[in-house]
Amino acid sequence: MYSILIVDDEVSIRTMLLDYLEGTYEVATAENAEAAIALCDKRSFDMVISDINMPGMKGPQLLAEIKRLYPATHTVLITAYNVDDYVRLARRSGVSNIIPKTSPFNFGELDALVSGLLSGNIFGLVRYMQPQHYTLLGTFEIRSSHDAKDVREAAVELLTEKLGAAGDMRLILDEIVTNAVYHAPAFPDGTEKYEEFSDVTLAPGEYIHLECGHDGEKYGISIVDDMGRLTKDTVLFKIERQMSGEGVLDDSGRGLHMSRLFSDRMIINIAPKKRTEVILINYFSHKYRGYKPLYINEL
Amino acid sequence: MTVLVSGILAASLAACGSLFFVYRKEKGRAGYLERALDAKNQRHDTTITEKITLSKKQLETAFDAITDLICALDSDLRITRVNKSYAAFVGVPIPKLLGRHCWEAFWSRAEPCDHCPAQMTFATGKPVLKHQIKMPDKDRPRYFTVATYPVLDAAGKPQNVIEHIRDSTDEKVILEQLIRSEKLASIGTMTAGIAHEMINPLSGISGTAGNMLQMPGKYGLNEKGVARVTAILDASSRASAIVKDLLHLSRKEDGTSMLMDVNSLVLKAVEAVRLKGLPSVEHKINLDTALTRVLCDPTKIQQVIINLVTNAVQSVLEKKSNLAREHRSFSGLILISTQTEDDKVRVDISDNGTGVADDIKGKIFDPFFTTRPPGEGTGLGLSICQKIVDEHQGRIFFESTESLTTFSLLLPAYRPRPESAQEFA
Repeated sequence: MYSILIVDDEVSIRTMLLDYLEGTYEVATAENAEAAIALCDKRSFDMVISDINMPGMKGPQLLAEIKRLYPATHTVLITAYNVDDYVRLARRSGVSNIIPKTSPFNFGELDALVSGLLSGNIFGLVRYMQPQHYTLLGTFEIRSSHDAKDVREAAVELLTEKLGAAGDMRLILDEIVTNAVYHAPAFPDGTEKYEEFSDVTLAPGEYIHLECGHDGEKYGISIVDDMGRLTKDTVLFKIERQMSGEGVLDDSGRGLHMSRLFSDRMIINIAPKKRTEVILINYFSHKYRGYKPLYINEL
Repeated sequence: MTVLVSGILAASLAACGSLFFVYRKEKGRAGYLERALDAKNQRHDTTITEKITLSKKQLETAFDAITDLICALDSDLRITRVNKSYAAFVGVPIPKLLGRHCWEAFWSRAEPCDHCPAQMTFATGKPVLKHQIKMPDKDRPRYFTVATYPVLDAAGKPQNVIEHIRDSTDEKVILEQLIRSEKLASIGTMTAGIAHEMINPLSGISGTAGNMLQMPGKYGLNEKGVARVTAILDASSRASAIVKDLLHLSRKEDGTSMLMDVNSLVLKAVEAVRLKGLPSVEHKINLDTALTRVLCDPTKIQQVIINLVTNAVQSVLEKKSNLAREHRSFSGLILISTQTEDDKVRVDISDNGTGVADDIKGKIFDPFFTTRPPGEGTGLGLSICQKIVDEHQGRIFFESTESLTTFSLLLPAYRPRPESAQEFA
């Protein structure tokens, strides 16, 4: 059984997480960073979930310290404040997952995140959906730049037809699919193979795969490439740069930033040099009130 | 400007000329020193009288030129002198004011005012300044700032009091607005802090309630317990909705800005309103296809447009149901248009719904002001819109007649700076 340490000065949050996770995991709690470090001295944890704002040492410092002492431990931040304000801090502390404290709390999302990180099984849209309610709407494959446009339109049409809504998916898919077609394929030395907006037919073995589906509360699209050129650091760097307004006039990171902005959830899963998956999710109605999370999982 | 410069020039020339004249006169007088000295003394006396007269004239001119109201009072509070502005304000010629009591002539009272500043100055021999003295008026009350200064005799006792009255009604209004916005700003900062601190326990409360409903056995919960916990979850959800709105209202701009085509935001907003499940209302969208792009936070501007469109739809639906009760039919219409207007991008959202009544026109952007029944909306929508638009250096305003209400949004159009134009091209 995996073990998880929860660190939060708010007792209701500690007990809430404890109640939910215990049974599936071995769970311990600490009310501040100092107590957490003392606990970690005595025994090891597979994951530490820490609040950001606590009296004494703050969450990001605690997790950076834990990462330094126990590199194998997964670290996740949780906050009631605006996640966007902490992307830079998180990046510096080696954290790429920040859970917002929404009201009501989004347990399904917590489940997917925790189990994914612990098991290393992060890929697949279905993992982020309620399994008992999941309906696969369709899958598509992109083999050329020409396909890209058709697939984008077909996916949007499918969502609109089946669910009556596609949100801003056309806009987002345009960005994400462009990224996948032009920026993912590269030569071994790292230079990109294809020029942006040129006519491209992907080489055998280079594939981009799209999947659309929904459950009772949300719908989503997953875009997978088998190249895995994107890294956690790159994603964090680009998102943060766009958030701070530094990237307003150039395109670098615009796609990722816009996708995060225009969808309710953007989850990025990375197996370095093997696979990249961008999952975009919209809720049918906004039940979970709070800020948008940051979910980047890298194996 | 030219007039001013030539005026200054003329004055300096005149000054030089008189200097020159004095110099020649002095030179010519050199031979007759004694007589001249005698004559000079005589002339000296005349000059003093002339100077005093001149000085008096200057003071009188200044006295009358001052637009503030000035009067001199004796110890009985009778007016001994007034300036033209004072007489004009009261609407009585100067001679008819002299000798009257100030409390009767100016303040239309039957007896001296409470805490009369002139009386205080007579009593203490010191100047007194009073702000915001209210004069009731049937239309709207006016406010005055009154300053009184003693005119002391040789013994240091006040002989007269000069009263200076300034109409500060407009200042008061501006000051009130300032205080209000200052207050709002500090309330905003405070609210953000409180709201964040509220999210923490609210998330814990609703999360724990959620756990209890998911696993009632684990908590030893019976049916009644489940019902109560459901109520807790509902209540915390409502509280969260308010906190979220408050956060929107108080949050500082965090700098997300992108070059956006406002047309696409309008279309998305209309789509979003449709998805909200509101009954559809006939609408026409007229977009300027050559619209200049705007540097903005797209989700926020979209939120503003969604808000305005939702209000329009609700207003039309409300009018429809009002008229239906009187068995009258009504076809609602919403018009949405965009256009470039000078260096601004303009979005107009018009509807022929209930309109904005005159008595609430000044209030609709106030936080927590709502015309909807309690429980439907927090009344923060338009104040959030106002804040978002302010953050974008834009303007939001409306015009409402019985037949048409138009909310307009002006956002600064993006113009690349010359040095970045090349890189941009």
